[in-house]
Amino acid sequence: MSELLRSKANYIRNLVLEMCSAASTGHVTSSFSCTEILVALYYGGILRFDPQKPKWEGRDRLIISKAQASAILYPVLADLGFFPKEELGRFCQADGKFGVHLQNDVPGVEITSGSLGHGFGVATGLALAAKMNRQLHLVFALLGDGECCEGSIWEAAMFASHKRLSNLIAIIDRNYLMATDFTENAIELEPLEEKWRAFGWRVKSIDGHSFEEIFDALDGVRSRRSSKPLVIIARTVKGKGVDFMSDDPLWHAVAPKGDEITRAKNQLGVDEPKPFREALL
Amino acid sequence: MKTQRDAFWDKVYEIALSNKDVVIVSADMGAPSLDKFRANLSSQYVDVGIAEQQAIAVSAGLALGGKKVFAYAIAPFITLRCYEQIRLELAAMNIPVTLVGVGAGMSYDDSGPTHHTVEDISILRALPNLRIHSITDSNMAIAIASMSCFLPYPNYVRLDRKVFPTIYSPLYDFSHGLANLTEPKVVPDVYLVATGNMVHRALEVAQELPLGVIDIFTLPINQDLFLKTVWKAKILFTLEEHTLPGGLGSAVCELLADNGLTIPVKRLGLDFSKGYCYQYGGREHLQSLYGLDKESIIRRIALALEAHHVDH
Repeated sequence: MSELLRSKANYIRNLVLEMCSAASTGHVTSSFSCTEILVALYYGGILRFDPQKPKWEGRDRLIISKAQASAILYPVLADLGFFPKEELGRFCQADGKFGVHLQNDVPGVEITSGSLGHGFGVATGLALAAKMNRQLHLVFALLGDGECCEGSIWEAAMFASHKRLSNLIAIIDRNYLMATDFTENAIELEPLEEKWRAFGWRVKSIDGHSFEEIFDALDGVRSRRSSKPLVIIARTVKGKGVDFMSDDPLWHAVAPKGDEITRAKNQLGVDEPKPFREALL
Repeated sequence: MKTQRDAFWDKVYEIALSNKDVVIVSADMGAPSLDKFRANLSSQYVDVGIAEQQAIAVSAGLALGGKKVFAYAIAPFITLRCYEQIRLELAAMNIPVTLVGVGAGMSYDDSGPTHHTVEDISILRALPNLRIHSITDSNMAIAIASMSCFLPYPNYVRLDRKVFPTIYSPLYDFSHGLANLTEPKVVPDVYLVATGNMVHRALEVAQELPLGVIDIFTLPINQDLFLKTVWKAKILFTLEEHTLPGGLGSAVCELLADNGLTIPVKRLGLDFSKGYCYQYGGREHLQSLYGLDKESIIRRIALALEAHHVDH
């Protein structure tokens, strides 16, 4: 299974690359750091969803609080059939339906987000509503590590543990980078595990690019004995898969162009003979 | 006589007894009328602590989960402190949460500028989808409470902290968003357009001067009804315990300008251009410092009428 997922992750990364390159915008590296996480959730049997019924009541809610990772969610949703893949070719275009940040009118997207520190709080409300309504679906929230500088994240973290929101799973894409610098140079986040633990969360720390570790961390997630919400701190590499784009603040919110696209594709090892828009449209 | 706040929450309590989806999200804000809600409907009462951003975010999540949510705090904190949450979690997605803020204008007259609510109308009326209900009396508070559970858009209820006389009957239809409170026999060519507590002041002024009074309790203003009411007027005065930039007066001027009406308008409100109000000594005193006491208003109206050569 892992081999299939790895192949899928590669395919999705390629879609991200093509979509953003064609539009000359989008957060490629922020998307590459959480590719395995999204692939595991959507293709690994974790999330409950129905592309034909995006508003199905029993679905799990995935809130992408680091909404700049729209560049990976949209290709995943298109690949799963939430909307036609052709729409990826219209990313940020006048005839398109979505842009660099997430909007809730796209099938499969739960909330509009883009300003950091917002989605996670909404996720706590969704989780509380599910508890109040005695519903069994789970609420997942994908956070950026830089996003943890926002005070609102910690307001929500306190709330979730106090309310015993055991149906809430936060995954932190710990890629150690913000827009202009490494997190520890800007505002030191470490010791991050201890912080979350002190806020009343069950904490797991994993390699965010390892499907095995992601699945281990999510094992039994629907029948957790703990009443604490769960946070998974997933150590990742911003730009994972393309060495010249990795771990470099200058590649934040930048789409590769010209030769860079070919070099990136070669590194991803994906054969894509036709130009993206031509292939899709 | 009940405060607007207690009248409002008593009605919400009554609705919540039979509708388990009605939820109050409080940012550590109480009220005598809320004690029974907390005691008897504790599963429908969510205290987020002193965290207004979280109050809005969690309210949005609850609303997405099917709840009818009221998010409650002192008015400046549930509007300004969490403005971006209101903008994105509520207005941008058109999520029907009711914000309830107590302390309109300088209601917290003993607390200084941190607790004065004087820019909320300006900033909230800039947001799409959201309606503002600026409450005038307790019967209006009750009616808006009833309505709030069923509105398909975000809603801000601006409540005063003090007790005011009742103007409206319990059966009044508030759906029009404004009320012409002009004495039946008066056919005015001058209108005083007010909101919230200043409607009461406007009615006091109307005892002394032959002018019409319009209460604007919903923003955006009901354009058709407003223009139909004032189009023959020679001059309009707007009156609000709120800063002038972007407030009720601005909203009135925008309506007139956009519709090509050249009626002169004189805005009466809080001139904070030199700084916030750090004065104390009661609300009447604070109002007098900004020319919002009855005598000052009468004087300012007379001067403006003279300047505009309105024979009155």
